[in-house]
Amino acid sequence: MPLIRKPAGASSAGVPAPNSAAVLLALASGTDDERWAAARSAAELPGGVAAVGEALAREKSPRVREALFTGLARVATPQSVEVVLPFLRSDDALVRTGASDALTAMRSVAWPAIAALLRDPDTDVRILACSLVHDMPGETALPLLCDLLDSEPEPNVCAAAVDAIAEIGGAEALPVLARCKERFAATPFLEFAIKVAMDRIRSQVTGPRA
Amino acid sequence: MPEFPTLSEDEYRRLCEFLYRRTGMVFTEAKRYYVERRVVERMLAVKATSFEDYFARLRVDLRGEIEQFVNAFTVNETYFYREEHQLACLSSDLLAARVKAKAHGGQIRIWSVPCSTGEEPYSIAIWLLENWPLVDQYDIEIVGSDIDTDAVALARAGVFAKRALMRLSPYLVDKYFVADGSETWKIIDDLRQSVTFTAANIIDQVATRAHGQFDVIFCRNVLIYFDDTSRRVAAENLYENLLPGGYICLGHTESMSRISPLFDVARFADAIVYQRPPV
Repeated sequence: MPLIRKPAGASSAGVPAPNSAAVLLALASGTDDERWAAARSAAELPGGVAAVGEALAREKSPRVREALFTGLARVATPQSVEVVLPFLRSDDALVRTGASDALTAMRSVAWPAIAALLRDPDTDVRILACSLVHDMPGETALPLLCDLLDSEPEPNVCAAAVDAIAEIGGAEALPVLARCKERFAATPFLEFAIKVAMDRIRSQVTGPRA
Repeated sequence: MPEFPTLSEDEYRRLCEFLYRRTGMVFTEAKRYYVERRVVERMLAVKATSFEDYFARLRVDLRGEIEQFVNAFTVNETYFYREEHQLACLSSDLLAARVKAKAHGGQIRIWSVPCSTGEEPYSIAIWLLENWPLVDQYDIEIVGSDIDTDAVALARAGVFAKRALMRLSPYLVDKYFVADGSETWKIIDDLRQSVTFTAANIIDQVATRAHGQFDVIFCRNVLIYFDDTSRRVAAENLYENLLPGGYICLGHTESMSRISPLFDVARFADAIVYQRPPV
């Protein structure tokens, strides 16, 4: 038979225990492959979360950056959340997406910070925060989005909140949507988005007609 | 079976956290019945007098209880030639691309993870013997790995019930199996010895690295059990386990694009798979 059998792990290069200093050095100045390997274990080392944050700020390789974000998501502490947050403001869409995905992966540890982002002075951050809030459990997310919708001056942020509410909202969201529609009566696209959201919620509340 | 113990919210949370740390599998409150049923099975097996008694044994891994506990939570429902279109893609496209990157007669490594009770890696072996014209010209190593050590032991034994063979033609059953009782069939020794089986958890970086790099990985219907973080870790482990240009096949409901940007999508006539970008 042409298929061969080899002892498992015969081609393994072996996995030495990580040496903290060597990992952090590789993270700072290694080749792409060395930084990738270091990124996969650095966040769990003493002082590693801060070092990963510094590495993220200078890292150009998308795959190493991905591993850095995963390391922070794996640690999932308030400190690792704080390290990720500034990257939501990056000009690079890949970095923003990486930060957003890492926060989503950190789940409840990141929720207080995500809720605070809804009040961020930067419009783009508030828009991103709406999609992050959408991934929280509905009973947590809906009041946050409704509060935002009642006071938010930017129509694009409202539109992002409306999109999220359309998916997770129930009858309790209808009055909030109606008030927003009234406030933005002169903004046709938002008026239309709200109408679609309200129709969708009403259809779910009443169920399909016979 | 006696009444299920009703775990308190705190007990259930501690148990699920323990399971998550060990396996990456996430069980929410909606899965309480499934979880409690397996806990009571293990409590009966070790004669634990209460949940606290059982959890204490689990935490100190008394008599290898962690392994038995994890085994109780794995799903080993599969059969030969499942998702046959991916096997067709393997022989018609993936290996053709991989051999271009190798010297003639070189080695091709294929990993089935998780392999459950062995149906998938044996299917790969049979499929290649039957359908890949170059099968005699390359050294093909097939490795099957699973977190469930009981499943790995069954895979090594290579004995299967009729249901597992339902997609195989009588010709293939006759060629690669021998009757082993009235309702079971055993893989022929030549084929059984051509697949290596190991215990491994795909979120364990040390364990996965020890398996080296592969040309093709079949990782089907497991990532759906993980949360976002474990999926990302698994994706990065699998990335390391692929040679540059190597391919990974997921289950038909799974998408690597939603998990990690590390891989390129590769579309073929028979299947959509994912590729570690070539150097």
